[in-house]
Amino acid sequence: MAALRSTPSRLLAAASRSTRAGPSMFVRSMATLGDSTVEANPKGSTDSRMKSFQVYRWNPDRPTDKPSMQTYTLDLNKTGPMVLDALVRIKNELDPTLAFRRSCREGICGSCAMNINGTNTLACLCRIPTDTKQEMKIYPLPHTYVVKDLVPDLTYFYKQYKSIKPYLQRDTPAPDGKEYRQSKAERRKLDGLYECILCACCSTSCPSYWWNAEEYLGPAILLQSYRWIADSRDERREERRAALDNSMSLYRCHTILNCTRTCPKGLNPGLAIAEIKKQMAF
Amino acid sequence: MASALRPTLLRHTAPAAPTRRAITTTLRSKQPMPSAVAKAAAFHASSRRRLLPPGPQVIHGSVNDPAPVPSPSPTHGSYHWTFERTIAAGLIPLTITPFAAGSLNPATDALLCGLMLVHSHMGFQSILIDYVPNSRYPKSRKGLMWGLNAVTVLVGIGLYEFETNDVGVTEAIKRVWKA
Repeated sequence: MAALRSTPSRLLAAASRSTRAGPSMFVRSMATLGDSTVEANPKGSTDSRMKSFQVYRWNPDRPTDKPSMQTYTLDLNKTGPMVLDALVRIKNELDPTLAFRRSCREGICGSCAMNINGTNTLACLCRIPTDTKQEMKIYPLPHTYVVKDLVPDLTYFYKQYKSIKPYLQRDTPAPDGKEYRQSKAERRKLDGLYECILCACCSTSCPSYWWNAEEYLGPAILLQSYRWIADSRDERREERRAALDNSMSLYRCHTILNCTRTCPKGLNPGLAIAEIKKQMAF
Repeated sequence: MASALRPTLLRHTAPAAPTRRAITTTLRSKQPMPSAVAKAAAFHASSRRRLLPPGPQVIHGSVNDPAPVPSPSPTHGSYHWTFERTIAAGLIPLTITPFAAGSLNPATDALLCGLMLVHSHMGFQSILIDYVPNSRYPKSRKGLMWGLNAVTVLVGIGLYEFETNDVGVTEAIKRVWKA
């Protein structure tokens, strides 16, 4: 995870690369077959760094075939730094049948959530380890129904999100008739909650959610639930808490904290769930 | 033995189904009886012996309908949670006090036994709720819950007998403890 967020080192690497290659030769090599003479290689040498990627494949058109791992080998010198770049390059150049979701390529949309080397994360925020001897393993989100290859079916996840009514509920109009005002302290309570992009990395890493996904809401939805409970403008706090006050929806959380560990945005769903439990305790 | 072999077996068998089939057939062709290695390979690396396979995905209602919200029941929700934590926290002083104070009081002994019984009963209930989902296995769930109730009653009777006719829990621990 530390490797994901080392912005200074990333900047340094980019700077050194551009100075070595020269401004005219610098090519942002992302997912395209770069000109063979221009390579984003800090040493300036032309030797290739081949790394193999094992990708989970399953085709719904042939449902009797077992899922299998397919290996693709890419030259890291011609590939962008992130796993999503590698996947896009595989789809463009090696195998157009590979299916995965992607949209914003910068960790805002949450589409490219997948299990990379055993950790749920966003492919666009996960750097490819430069060790070329080690294979990368890419799976869809664990314990989800797979639509195809790396595409999980998140229908029920979204239905659960809808069940917590993720919108402002108010009966009294604003005093000035214009907007619902918040103090800075009240607004600060929403920091760390509103940033959630619902990528489902945390929910699908939670063993309790693996066991009881039909009834337990899971960390992502509970974080969102707390986001509305904590909002000072919302007036249905009691109803929201009552909706969670049963054996399954909230209390299947056993503070395993896989959610906090895996969150690609660095949020803390475990803390949010603990806050809900604390509010409901007495 | 099997666990020591496991990584290499996995490496051989995991990547693709055809190679696994080839390996197991060669193993079988060498030995008419399936050896322990082949058994272990089949167990570790495949989903052929799926114990509780996941059912097909069932979505009730349309995609745009929200998931059903259960009716509130604080006895199974917030009150249950508070009760559970209170008992767990109360057990700590009850466990330490008799040894720290050096006095063996039958009242604290009985309280300790009772709380421990409730605590473990709730813990096992939680395990059953997690591992035997009511939606998929309602009958097993019911049976196991009643089995748990029976076991708790049995343990309660046993502890009562131990407290009244024998030395009691704290004294027993004190005698067994050789540290």
